[in-house]
Amino acid sequence: MKQRVRRSSWGALLFLAVLGLCLGAAEARAQLPSTAVASGAPDEGNDRVEAALLTDVAQVKAGDAFRVGVRFRMDPGWHIYWKNPGESGLASEVTWDTPGTTVGELQWPAPSTFRTSDGYITTYGYAEEVLLFADARASEKAEGSLQLSAAADVLVCEVHCLPAQLMLTRNISVGPETRPDAEHALVFAAAHARVPVAPESSGHAVTLALDTKPLTAGQPFTGTLTVTGPRGQPVPAVDKDFFVPERIPGIARLALSAVAGRPGTFKLEGQAAPDVPAQEPRFAGVLHLGSSALTVSLPMASVVAAAPGAPVAAAAGKPVAAQASAVAAPPVAAESSLSLGLVLLFAFLGGALLNLMPCVFPVLALKAYGFTRTVHAERGQVGLHALAYAGGIVGSMLVLAAVVLALRAGGSSVGWGFQFQEPLFVAAVAAVLVAFALNLFGVFNVGTDGTALVEKVDSSHGFARSAGEGVLAVVLATPCSAPLLGTAVGFALAAGPATVLATFLMLGLGLALPFCLLVLVPGLTKLLPKPGAWMERGKQLLGFALLGTTVWLVWVMGGLTGVDGMARLLAFLAVVGLGAWLYGLVQGDSGGRKAAGVAAVVAILVVGGVLSLRFEEAGPAVRKASMVAEAQPWDETAVAAALKAGQPVFIDFTADWCLTCKFNERTVLTREDVRAAFAQHKVAFFVADWTRRDERISAKLAEFGRAGVPMYLVVSPAAPDKPEVLPELLTADSVTDAVRRAAERVADAR
Amino acid sequence: MKPFFTAVALAVMLPVAALAADTAEVGKPAPAFTLKDEAGKEHTLSQYKGKVVVLEWTNPGCPFVQRHYTADTMQKTFTGVDAKKVVWLAVDSTASNTPDKSAAWKKTEGFTYPVLQDASGTVGKAYGAKTTPHMYVIDEQGVVRYAGAIDDDARGNKKGGTTNHVKTAVDALLSGKPVPTSTTEPYGCSVKYKS
Repeated sequence: MKQRVRRSSWGALLFLAVLGLCLGAAEARAQLPSTAVASGAPDEGNDRVEAALLTDVAQVKAGDAFRVGVRFRMDPGWHIYWKNPGESGLASEVTWDTPGTTVGELQWPAPSTFRTSDGYITTYGYAEEVLLFADARASEKAEGSLQLSAAADVLVCEVHCLPAQLMLTRNISVGPETRPDAEHALVFAAAHARVPVAPESSGHAVTLALDTKPLTAGQPFTGTLTVTGPRGQPVPAVDKDFFVPERIPGIARLALSAVAGRPGTFKLEGQAAPDVPAQEPRFAGVLHLGSSALTVSLPMASVVAAAPGAPVAAAAGKPVAAQASAVAAPPVAAESSLSLGLVLLFAFLGGALLNLMPCVFPVLALKAYGFTRTVHAERGQVGLHALAYAGGIVGSMLVLAAVVLALRAGGSSVGWGFQFQEPLFVAAVAAVLVAFALNLFGVFNVGTDGTALVEKVDSSHGFARSAGEGVLAVVLATPCSAPLLGTAVGFALAAGPATVLATFLMLGLGLALPFCLLVLVPGLTKLLPKPGAWMERGKQLLGFALLGTTVWLVWVMGGLTGVDGMARLLAFLAVVGLGAWLYGLVQGDSGGRKAAGVAAVVAILVVGGVLSLRFEEAGPAVRKASMVAEAQPWDETAVAAALKAGQPVFIDFTADWCLTCKFNERTVLTREDVRAAFAQHKVAFFVADWTRRDERISAKLAEFGRAGVPMYLVVSPAAPDKPEVLPELLTADSVTDAVRRAAERVADAR
Repeated sequence: MKPFFTAVALAVMLPVAALAADTAEVGKPAPAFTLKDEAGKEHTLSQYKGKVVVLEWTNPGCPFVQRHYTADTMQKTFTGVDAKKVVWLAVDSTASNTPDKSAAWKKTEGFTYPVLQDASGTVGKAYGAKTTPHMYVIDEQGVVRYAGAIDDDARGNKKGGTTNHVKTAVDALLSGKPVPTSTTEPYGCSVKYKS
């Protein structure tokens, strides 16, 4: 930039044009002609800005599309302006003169926000380097070469400002085929990746609800903006300057602020300009949310003149506009409430799907067994059992919701399945499972006088058992983050208390649905087999399913607390077994003997518990959270390094207690063809292990609107800011495709 | 959830405005002030009650101001209105400005209205002036009637048909009509406030 480039060296242009023709533009890295580069805004002997007219092709075929743009390079500390310069400055402007080429609308990469050192004046623009570009198309009749000229009018500011008018011109040759300019195509790809996208195109949904309509000229107004991601998850603001408004006629001021406790929800505060605008203003600007930049344009409301006597010019016909906007109001409100409704629906469906997940299966089997038992009892009783089971589920869901709210109020990091990060909780669940299994084996009976459960259903205790099964179903369901469920829970955990409770309630109802359906639809019960001796065998068999689940919990405990912890848990489980056996011995007795026996059981459990349940978190020992051999522990800097080296990155957010995660790892991530695809594209595989509490991982999950694992991210080095989130249930195809896409983006960009 | 709360707290504590409200609002009384001009004479807004007051935030170092002074935009607008009914006050809130610099500039450009000295930026911020040039027109009762740019030619490349917003506003006020365009986006350099 020190050297001022001569603008009109036609000789050089001619020379280059001839050279280009001679070589048939064989050289892929086209040298820029000197007329295509100019600098301006001289200050203290330096030109503060340099502009270059670039194309992404070295040669174009007649009728083909290409891109043309002006790259601005500013001296350090200097910047030029976005289309809305903000509170001072001047929008950058590029005008085209391109005979034989049609040039589209100028594309603006997402701007940065600049503030004066006292923070008083805010402007929007670009520092260092930016490419303002447009899509172009060569005429069908183009031949020889096409002349491209651009006039750039920019204001370059540091503390003081310097205007610069830069004239740029160059030719591109027209040939039998379009050949990319390898070097500059990369510049265009990078700029294109920075252009904010419409929410629809990235699966986001942005809704706006104004508190009052219509707007009154000169008066402040408020509203709420809601942003949800591709899976309906709320999208929080991570950047402090997450909103850059466009210049909107009729709106004097527009600001968004995050709402505490509700990510993805933003409070809108604005003020209508004193004059009634000719057109209804739209809410327009760029939102930097999560990892994407969205360009938003939403209808707001018409602006009406202030009441008579107010100091603004009254305009005729405004009441009509007011009516129109009153009619338009309901759909907007409906849209924003729909998103909550949708989340509740997701929660319900997710709850129902949980029944099919491996973690709930043992309980479901248990319930199915219980059902064949009760189906032949009084019809009313069956209904009551269903009610008790559903009540147990919903009740414990609500307790879970309350715990979540309490922990959140305490500032703790919680998420779906978070309880399994707590060793004592794991121990308690394991103990309950073992007790249930022993009960099924017939070591002791719950609430009956010792005769076969099949024959006599003691109604009151039976209902307690049904409710207990409901509770167990919930407890076991939490580590299985079913598809759809992740979103709903993520939304709920981030939302207000009422929403949290409503979502968990729907989850519970969904989980209880299959059993209740069986009861409520009379025909279905006839399909069940008749009770008999097989039921006793089946019952005992189910006990082993519960023990299998216990094995998994013991393994989880190993991940949490190491080999010692596992041994302590097993010791405790043995004590639980002893207690159950003792209870079984005395439960047939009556009076003092029974009381003494129960006391002994309690004493054994307490002493055994106190002695064994002392878990120390294992140090950051060498533990392997992922079954993928070449996995490295997740770390932002390591990821950045891999991306810089041009490697696509796969991040596996997992936990030992997450069965969906383990299932994915076992069936997809360790498959030969998937491994081969990883190797072929030189994918850097990272594991973020959430088995134990980890704030960094919780934060990363929250960034993508998730409250729990699994989560899978594929990041392309060509677009490090836009990771792809894979579905929670992986397939080999979805993984290999995503990895290939990430790798191809790099290839394209080159 | 902790990082989430931190993020929320951060966002809430941020200055609410992405586009901060001008403190001198059209339709509301103009903030009162007393400032000395380049010659040391005091000017108080209330002393001009009964007259239309034009405030011009300026900075001779700003290319946009320079362009308008080269083209005599301000001078012509000032001389084009009835001097008995209209008071024109330039205000310089540049931190590095001095009365001497203003006097020298006034002499070079050859205009007659005073240049108020606001190097502390107090009055500039009271009005919410962010740009040079940034214009305010205040009516006879002391109510702000126009705030924004001098004209609609930000780039100075219009070949005619330029609308001078300040002249339009002053003419409307003097003839007892409402101001047709009461706000525009000012263009130019930022005010170089003391920081």
